[in-house]
Amino acid sequence: MAVNEKLYSKMQQEIFALASSVGEVVEKFKQLHHPLSESHERVPKATEQLDKISEQTEAAAHQMLDMVEGITQRESDIVAGLTELKTKLSAGTQDNAEAESTIDGLIEKADKNCNDAYTIMDVLQFQDITSQQMNHAAALLEDIEGRLDGIISIIHGKDSSNKEKKKSTSKRAERAYDPHADMYEKKTDQEMIDSIFSKK
Amino acid sequence: MSDLKILAVDDSPTMRRIIINTLKRAGFTDVIEAGDGKEAMAKLKVETVNFVITDWNMPEMDGLTFVKSIRSDDSLKDLPVLMVTTRSVKDDIVEALQAGVNNYIVKPFTPDTLKEKIEQVLQG
Repeated sequence: MAVNEKLYSKMQQEIFALASSVGEVVEKFKQLHHPLSESHERVPKATEQLDKISEQTEAAAHQMLDMVEGITQRESDIVAGLTELKTKLSAGTQDNAEAESTIDGLIEKADKNCNDAYTIMDVLQFQDITSQQMNHAAALLEDIEGRLDGIISIIHGKDSSNKEKKKSTSKRAERAYDPHADMYEKKTDQEMIDSIFSKK
Repeated sequence: MSDLKILAVDDSPTMRRIIINTLKRAGFTDVIEAGDGKEAMAKLKVETVNFVITDWNMPEMDGLTFVKSIRSDDSLKDLPVLMVTTRSVKDDIVEALQAGVNNYIVKPFTPDTLKEKIEQVLQG
């Protein structure tokens, strides 16, 4: 009887210990679930931002290439026109009215080149916008990294983040970005802004 | 050519160059620049500026804090400020207006829009 009571008491202690361990495991899983689900939500956002950067840089590059192709073609026309004019002037076969018309045409092409050069500069605004999109993607990835660090800490039961990692994180520059930065048409937005400011 | 002295504030050096070149093409040749609100405030303390163009998202001091600093400084409170930013959410625009911004442009902008808004602000 005494032996059974001892055994019963021992079993009871073991069951309590087991229940306690199971409770701790459940608690750890609960702690893991939140950062894992949050991280899972952030990955598609980061991917979406990176896809947007790829699309918008390609669109901007094509727009600039179109402009450059136009500029180089007109430059060739200008050189050819000036060469022809010089040849005719040297030979004394250049009619004045014809020369004026040629020069006007060349001036027009030079003006168009100048305008297109400014358009290229406008398109270069994509660099600021994609830079903000990259900062947003980087911030999302850093957030995921932080959550994964937290998970590792929970699993190991201590702060497993090494000093080097903490150092590199603290060295990161302050990120200033607009999470909604976009290259697409903003005409409607500007109209809405004008309407707000017209009421002030 | 205008004799207006403009301060262009943006953390992106590319954007500052674009704004400065666009302003020069529009006839505003006297332009100085700063990379954030803190640097801009320091410049406003030592230089006479007639017009400010500022971004919103910047490190150190963002554009909104910068505008509030201007409006709370007796010597600068009447300085015209045009905000040029990617932020196009209505609440942000209203917040900028309440902070004291005179007008607002969403990036990417066209040279015509920039010139038009500067003129609108100057005409009051």
